[in-house]
Amino acid sequence: MVSIGALSFVAPWALLGLLALPALWWLLRIIPPAPRRVRFPAIRLIMRLVNPEESSAKTPLWLALLRFALVAAVIIAASHPVLNATDRVEGDGPLILAIDDGWSSARNWEDRRDTMTALIDQAAREGRAAGLITTARQSGGGQVSVSLLPAAEAKERALALQPKPWPVDRTAAIALVDAVQSSGDAQVVWLSNGLHMGNADAFAEALGKLGTLSVLADLPGDLPTVMLPPKADSQGLGLTIRRAATSAPDNLVVRARDEDGRVLARREVSYGAGETETELRLDFPVEIRNRLDQLEIEGENHAGAVVLMDERWRRRPVGLVSASERRNDQPLLDDAFYLDRALDPFTEVRNGAVADLLKRELSLIVLADPGRLAEADRQSLIRWMENGGVVVRFAGPRLAGERDPLLPVRLRKGDRKLGGALSWTRPARMAAFPETSPFHGIGIPNDVVVRRQVLAQPSVDLPDKTWARLADGTPLVTAEKQENGWLVFVHTTADPKWSTLALSGLFVEMMQQLVQLGRGIAADGEDRMLAPLRSVNGFGRIIAPLPGAQAIPATDILSAEPGPANPPGFYGDETSRRALNLSPVLPVPAPMGGLGAGIEPQPYQESRETDIRPIVLTLALLLALADIIASMALRGLFTFNRAAAAAAVLLAAVIVPPVNAPAQAQTLADGESPFDAALRVRLAYVPTGDGTIDDTVLAGLRGLSLVANSRTAAELAEPMAIDPASDELAFFPLIYWPVTENSETIPPEVAARVNTYLKRGGTILFDTRDEGGANFVGQRLQVMGRHLDIPPLTQVPPNHVLTRSYYLLRDFPGRWTGGRVWVERDGSRANDGVSSVIVGSHDWAGAWAVDQTRRPLYPVVPGGERQREMSYRFGINMLMYALTGNYKADQVHLPAILERLGQ
Amino acid sequence: MSGSVAELHQRAELLAANLPPLLIRADRVAATVSQGVHGRRRVGQGETFWQYRRYEAGDPIQKIDWRRSAKSDPVYIRENEWEAAQSVWLWSDGSPSMRYASNRRLPEKVDHADLLMLATASLLVRAGEHVAPLGWGITPTAGRTALLLLAQALEDRAITANDNHPGSLPRFEPLPRHGSIVMFGDFLEPLEDIHKAIGRYVDRGITGHMLQILDPAERELPFGGRTRFEGMENEGTALIGRVEGIREQYRDRLGRHRDGLEAIARTAGWTFATHYTNQPVETALLGLFVALTAPRGTQETY
Repeated sequence: MVSIGALSFVAPWALLGLLALPALWWLLRIIPPAPRRVRFPAIRLIMRLVNPEESSAKTPLWLALLRFALVAAVIIAASHPVLNATDRVEGDGPLILAIDDGWSSARNWEDRRDTMTALIDQAAREGRAAGLITTARQSGGGQVSVSLLPAAEAKERALALQPKPWPVDRTAAIALVDAVQSSGDAQVVWLSNGLHMGNADAFAEALGKLGTLSVLADLPGDLPTVMLPPKADSQGLGLTIRRAATSAPDNLVVRARDEDGRVLARREVSYGAGETETELRLDFPVEIRNRLDQLEIEGENHAGAVVLMDERWRRRPVGLVSASERRNDQPLLDDAFYLDRALDPFTEVRNGAVADLLKRELSLIVLADPGRLAEADRQSLIRWMENGGVVVRFAGPRLAGERDPLLPVRLRKGDRKLGGALSWTRPARMAAFPETSPFHGIGIPNDVVVRRQVLAQPSVDLPDKTWARLADGTPLVTAEKQENGWLVFVHTTADPKWSTLALSGLFVEMMQQLVQLGRGIAADGEDRMLAPLRSVNGFGRIIAPLPGAQAIPATDILSAEPGPANPPGFYGDETSRRALNLSPVLPVPAPMGGLGAGIEPQPYQESRETDIRPIVLTLALLLALADIIASMALRGLFTFNRAAAAAAVLLAAVIVPPVNAPAQAQTLADGESPFDAALRVRLAYVPTGDGTIDDTVLAGLRGLSLVANSRTAAELAEPMAIDPASDELAFFPLIYWPVTENSETIPPEVAARVNTYLKRGGTILFDTRDEGGANFVGQRLQVMGRHLDIPPLTQVPPNHVLTRSYYLLRDFPGRWTGGRVWVERDGSRANDGVSSVIVGSHDWAGAWAVDQTRRPLYPVVPGGERQREMSYRFGINMLMYALTGNYKADQVHLPAILERLGQ
Repeated sequence: MSGSVAELHQRAELLAANLPPLLIRADRVAATVSQGVHGRRRVGQGETFWQYRRYEAGDPIQKIDWRRSAKSDPVYIRENEWEAAQSVWLWSDGSPSMRYASNRRLPEKVDHADLLMLATASLLVRAGEHVAPLGWGITPTAGRTALLLLAQALEDRAITANDNHPGSLPRFEPLPRHGSIVMFGDFLEPLEDIHKAIGRYVDRGITGHMLQILDPAERELPFGGRTRFEGMENEGTALIGRVEGIREQYRDRLGRHRDGLEAIARTAGWTFATHYTNQPVETALLGLFVALTAPRGTQETY
């Protein structure tokens, strides 16, 4: 390989061919081009002429230059030029690549892969064998071995490598490397992830034994950032984000997504100067927080910057246990109704019996005076509370009458009534919340009064258990911690029977605070297996489970370590899934720095190798094409017009995709828009594609328009060619449709448009132009109009409107005569009995056709100006028929009318 | 011609398909020039009344117009205008060299030649002259039949032309004296040949008109570069290294050729003119008409 600046040549000896160029130049210049051949009648006058100059006998300079460039391009292409060729490997042993393909490599994977392929390409060029060692375990569990392969095969394997969503295991890799039998002459390149991880030195040392080692590492600023799973508290989520070096960007954006991948929020966060760790608080409303599925750092794209969120970070639904079935007929008397309304805005409420509710995760269970609980229910509630559940109980008539141990305080028997007809006291207002209360800080509205409550037995710890008091000091809300959970008791009802609390906004706020207490704990800790549901891949994307992913016991999910068997991701099923995140097990990222023994990591290459041989070959091909065209033009095989046209066609074929536009443009005359068709009445025809016929038809319609303009009140504009497939037909009263032997069947979609036109009152004249049906074009018409909706036809009856709509006619000659003319059967009442189709074979357009000086173009057969005049009269009659419909139809009945009048 | 009825029918069909447009076009071109039938403004054979004249001794008794004579004392005889028809033989060059058009927009030379010939014939027929195709041994006739005969001759020309006689010059046909010949062609053959061909007619006292029809490219030689010219009638080829270099010489030579043709025409008392296919045929026809009606003389380019 020879390099000139950034340009290298793989096969430089081929460039020797350039030395031959001057010879070629000389050759081209002395050999004249082939003469163009011209057939010329006056050759005798040329024959004995003496030419004073013969200068053109040489190839023109520009053509010589063109061919010169062509040959030069071919020679250069043969030398296989490469831009920015990488040349990292020296010596001549086999190439061994050690690749860190753990989570942290995903961030820069493109560069790594380019480097890998460049190195292997180089090995391929130099005929070396190549081997691969990957330090992260594969999905199956094992590591890629170090067997030496032909470079092409090694390249395939290298290209198949993907970063893994788990850490590298260099200890295992060291063992692997140590086991390799090596002569020590290998060229070893370690494409490291740039992280120290405690054993980078040892691995470098092990690799060094294989041969000459060079190490590539990311710059500290490019090392990945790790986001730890957030810590949930009652206020929100606290995120910790770590970077490996302070040279990494200071500002990050954290994105929160829901289950469908929609971005719920983007939050910016920045590191303090010189810090490698930062905190981000996420204070989402509960609705948003409950939809959180995934947090990620924008632009990081690796598994360490993705946190999956499961039930642990969510506010769970509230279970509601009430005494009776919901009363849908009188909801305002039902305490569950008020709780529903209070809880609904920020959480999900589930109704049911205690046993049913506890089967799923709940943050809170509200007992709205359910009466006496079954013993089993009470036991499970207590167990659930001890695991962290929160039970909120309301007093009520049923509770007041009994002693229930599932209360934070002991109650006095009976209840206390405040106010009322027989009492001096007034209903009590609420006092401010004490500082120990979770309700502390909530304002108390004046209109909350409590008329009735149950009273707690005074005890030493009563004030500590009290979260809310009435103005007279009696507890309204008491609570007791039960291991990890809470038992909360409200001393009045959840409906307005005993107090107005349930009607106030305060009730909603209090319930909200209580819900915040709950942490969503499954009641049963039964040990089931969680199957992998979704996995995070190396690039931090959530995909279907990776091959090799195995189920985890539910009890181990919190302590499981991500790896090939348990890649990070979701486990379980859709209703209760658990997240396994990578970042908690990651050490604090640290750059690896120097590796001792004079091995200094090099950064990954900036520029990439570009093979420019295809470009040069393409150039040569284009030059060859240009040369062919130029040679043909010089030989007179085409005139320059044709050469230009051919070039244009060639270019158009290459560049412009075929479009319909030109065909459409053709049907409108120059400078005419579709609106012009609408603004003036004009005749139209459907081109056959045969130029002669189309010209004739156009000339014929022009002739008919002229005659009609001079003889009738119709003012017809220039006739127009239309394409029924694309043009709007509605503007034309009459369409002349010539049929030839080669007419194609009208495709169904076009036929549909034509049918619509006919149905809405349009008229089409089909002219088979075959001398009265002699040439069987009529059969062609049947094939052509297969999809048209043509009603049964009949020969024009003697008293048809067509015979008297302007002139009185007996027959309808055109250029020919003697054939039959067909119209719709008289009985059809569609379109007011006006025939939508007229079919004939007289080539009327041929008879009407005139040239610019208004002289007829074709003789009529058998002949005579009378026949031509009659054909014009037929044209006018037909035009009137199309324009005025059956206006003249009553004339048909005139004899009968006159007869009746005479009576 | 084969006598097969089917073939004859087929040819008739062909003729019917092709002839009307050509004839009509020729008629139309002629209509722009025609001035109508007129007599010789002399007493002679004819059907139109010319004058009454006093009877003179020696006049045939049968010529006396008794009705006129009864009105007065002298005896009158009735004289009609002389309406002697002239016979014109027409010839159009159908050789391969006429099938040349330098540009797709231009017609071939033979198109103009045939059109002009038929148009001239149409004019002559309207003037009451007798026309016939030259070289076919047909006696001149009047009326549209003559036109049809001419058209048929054009058709047959393509069939009878062969390599031995490409038809660059008309075959000699002994014509009666005082006939006229109108020739349409490119007249690019050597001057001696032309002189010889015409001389035989001139010797019989036949007057004639030569209309040279050329393509504009034959006047301008608008080619360039290295070019191999090939004749259209097996004359051979000529390789020219640089056509621009010989253009002046060529024009010079063409000019001399035309001078030679003109000289031939002049000495024979014929007229000679040149028509280019990029010019309208009406002009050429008008010029020809003037030449046909004028007694003698030569015209320049029409």
